[in-house]
Amino acid sequence: MARTADEVTGAIATFLATKSVPPTHAWLQTFIPTIRLTTPLLALQKTALFRLLATDITTSLLKPPSSCFPPNTTDPQVKETSLRGPITVQVLDVEDIGRSRWSQFESLEAHERGETTKGREVIRVVPEANGPDATQAETKSSGPHKLLLQDANGSKVYAMELTPVRGVGLQMAIGAKLVLRDCVVARGVLLLEDRGVEVLGGKVEVWDRKWREGRKGALKEKAGVREGGG
Amino acid sequence: MPPRRQQTKVLCVAEKPSIAKAVASHLGGGQVNTHNTGNRYVKNYVFQYNFPAWGECEVTMTSVLGHLVSRDFESRYNNWRACDPSALFEAPIQTYIQDDLKPIAENIKSQARFAKYLYIWTDCDREGENIGDEIRQEALKGNASLSQPNRIFRARFSNIERAHIINAACNPVTLDDAQANAVYSRIELDLRIGACFTRNLTLSVQPLFHQHFGNREQGLISYGSCQFPTLGFVVERYLRVRNFVPETFWTIKVMHEKEDIKVNFRWARNHLFDRMPAVILFERCLAARIARVTKVQTKPTSKWKPLPLTTVELQKCGSRFLYMDSSRVMTVAESLYTKGWISYPRTETDQFDGGMDLRALVQKQTQGGPWAGLAQALMNGGFSAPRNGRNNDKAHPPIHPVNFVEPTQLDAQERSVYEFVVRRFLACCSEDARGSKTDISILYGTETFNASGLVVLARNYLDVYKYDRWTSSQVLPDFQEGEVFEPTEARIQDGKTSPPGYLTEPELIALMDANGIGTDATMAEHILKIKERNYAWVQPRGRRPQGNDGDDEAESGGEAPPAANATRGRRGRGGARGRGGRGGGVEGPGRGATTGVQEFIPTTLGVALVEGYENMGFEISLTKPFLRKEMELKMKAICDGQRTKAEVVHETIEQYRDVYVRTQQRLNVLRDAVRKYCLGPIEAHNG
Repeated sequence: MARTADEVTGAIATFLATKSVPPTHAWLQTFIPTIRLTTPLLALQKTALFRLLATDITTSLLKPPSSCFPPNTTDPQVKETSLRGPITVQVLDVEDIGRSRWSQFESLEAHERGETTKGREVIRVVPEANGPDATQAETKSSGPHKLLLQDANGSKVYAMELTPVRGVGLQMAIGAKLVLRDCVVARGVLLLEDRGVEVLGGKVEVWDRKWREGRKGALKEKAGVREGGG
Repeated sequence: MPPRRQQTKVLCVAEKPSIAKAVASHLGGGQVNTHNTGNRYVKNYVFQYNFPAWGECEVTMTSVLGHLVSRDFESRYNNWRACDPSALFEAPIQTYIQDDLKPIAENIKSQARFAKYLYIWTDCDREGENIGDEIRQEALKGNASLSQPNRIFRARFSNIERAHIINAACNPVTLDDAQANAVYSRIELDLRIGACFTRNLTLSVQPLFHQHFGNREQGLISYGSCQFPTLGFVVERYLRVRNFVPETFWTIKVMHEKEDIKVNFRWARNHLFDRMPAVILFERCLAARIARVTKVQTKPTSKWKPLPLTTVELQKCGSRFLYMDSSRVMTVAESLYTKGWISYPRTETDQFDGGMDLRALVQKQTQGGPWAGLAQALMNGGFSAPRNGRNNDKAHPPIHPVNFVEPTQLDAQERSVYEFVVRRFLACCSEDARGSKTDISILYGTETFNASGLVVLARNYLDVYKYDRWTSSQVLPDFQEGEVFEPTEARIQDGKTSPPGYLTEPELIALMDANGIGTDATMAEHILKIKERNYAWVQPRGRRPQGNDGDDEAESGGEAPPAANATRGRRGRGGARGRGGRGGGVEGPGRGATTGVQEFIPTTLGVALVEGYENMGFEISLTKPFLRKEMELKMKAICDGQRTKAEVVHETIEQYRDVYVRTQQRLNVLRDAVRKYCLGPIEAHNG
């Protein structure tokens, strides 16, 4: 059955909307010329999703108010409110706030020196062998993580893991897309729980690279300069 | 019985005079004739002994004084400026016997002339096998017929106790050439690499000092493939401490008073390094007002008794509990071994062999000392089999007391070490300490907080091992799961992270051990070396620094400086081993003895060297443990028969030659570091 460009466009748009990433008309116009209409629809939908997840959602997604942050989300005066969602966001920054910035900085340096890879590992902390009551000298913390999220409107909101959320961590890509549902907002900060977060994935290559390159500098700065900011 | 003149003669050679004397007295009974030799420390003990394999023999038992043979480059390489240091990678090495040791070699040669069998009694470790080989070669010079099969044997023993020695005497084994070769390769590598890099380093850097200070006080700057990584650890920690940036963190503390007891609950998240989330979570706790107990669990808990004692453990504990640095502890332990009070103190084994009669050893300790009663209690039913560690070097058992000696018969340091060994052993044979632990968790808002209480029910091993602590915490009031309450007090508190301390000796030893630097036999030496070479010094934690113990470096034609605080037969370059000096006896509280926790601080020269080499590029840094760790692994492979000495020496030389070449290309980096740290401030340019 031959499909027209319009039919295909429509099918793809509908599919993406069900995934909470409804594309703008403009984006679809850039996408369609790159595909062959005879390719099976399922494959086309997958490709579309993949490409869309690599974009900046402030330009590529529609902005229905129900899918964006309500106006007073970041207001610190509001003790508590809640978001229904689904709200689609992209991750602009990720931090581990359970571990000192300085120790994260030192870890990165050691890694860069090649000292954490097999065969070249320099063991720096020797665990005590004291039996079942021993407390570990240095526990590797992972989280909780604090995220900077941006919706399709461009609004930025901080979020924090209340309980560990699968897929959230320092290995996340910058520009990854999440869909939020039923979140509590306390004093302008989203409190994330696993059941309220759907990680769609994706990445914005340019942002991610820049983030990783600037990581050490950012950690250093936060360790030295930042003493109580939010 | 054949007349004496025609009796089979056996020549026994020990590593030190004290061992020779002890073995002779055990085997010879009361009938030992003593003769002098050309060296006043070494005696020949003559007696009769009936060996199972050889029958009634006339035995001459003598000794050497550690390594017999010295190695050096041919004299034409002595002039540093006449050849490129890298020539030393290939330069021929000659072996010779130093003048003062010549009489000892002579003694062996001449005594061997009449011997049918050569029986070697050097200490049972790698160095001992190597010295055994040196002895063998000397003996063969005096009597070539010893090279026939089944003429040369070796005794395997771990302590100087009578029954043990007799058993060893009756069960000879052969010299382990693999181990001897591992040591030969180490000696050759240390000589070539040490000499080459020392010359290179000194020639490149020493002129800077002479120029800058206008004098020739800066002596040679030496390199050692173990010392540099050891120094590397010290400098690395030093820099971490100096570069440390304190950060503020926030934590939530909850306290609830119940039944007149104040219970402190710890936040499950421990602390956060961002104020806003911490404050938000705290506010939500307060908003919730009521906390609910989610878990109350009481279960038995125990504090495990210690593992059987290894050399590394002894050194660490010596530093922490006995206030003796590692070299001193080993020297004292050696002396106790030589006198027959403890077993061989160089061992990696932390499991007791099933066949050992441990009870008999415990029984010996009931004779006296402050632990007599505790030992008796073990004999009366409190005995419990020791834990097994994971290491077994197959050569020696864990360090343990072999005989009882009245502590008053020992000097202060010997007493301290002996007591430690005894208490550790008795602790191994005791029960774990037992207690009961209660853990309580509460949910306050979305946040979890925990409290725990400990009741020590039976101290057991803790009674004899006074070096460990375990005390009951305050008693917790009763809580029930599901119980709710409004916490008496909840508050948010901030604090600041603080830098780690400078490296202490136990930490340094642990790092060296974990990263494969040095062996149980050599770690203490490397640590001593970096102090002697003026690369680092020790100061008591938190007090004013002590000066380095004035060592002057001898500058004589390129030889490594002899140790200024010559504790015990410190080896020169590639020569005698680092222990087993003349005679027995322990020195009084040497300059190494200190009180309190000691920490290592690098000198400016130490920092300059580490930073200089690091800046040359990490793949070749001589201050990182990788190269040395590989070398140690190759030594082990030689011992296990997997690699040959020639292979290993060749391969390692090529590795270091590569490093040498790259170092040459980037010497400026090293010089810059030295200028930066040692030679005063670099001139400031405007702006």
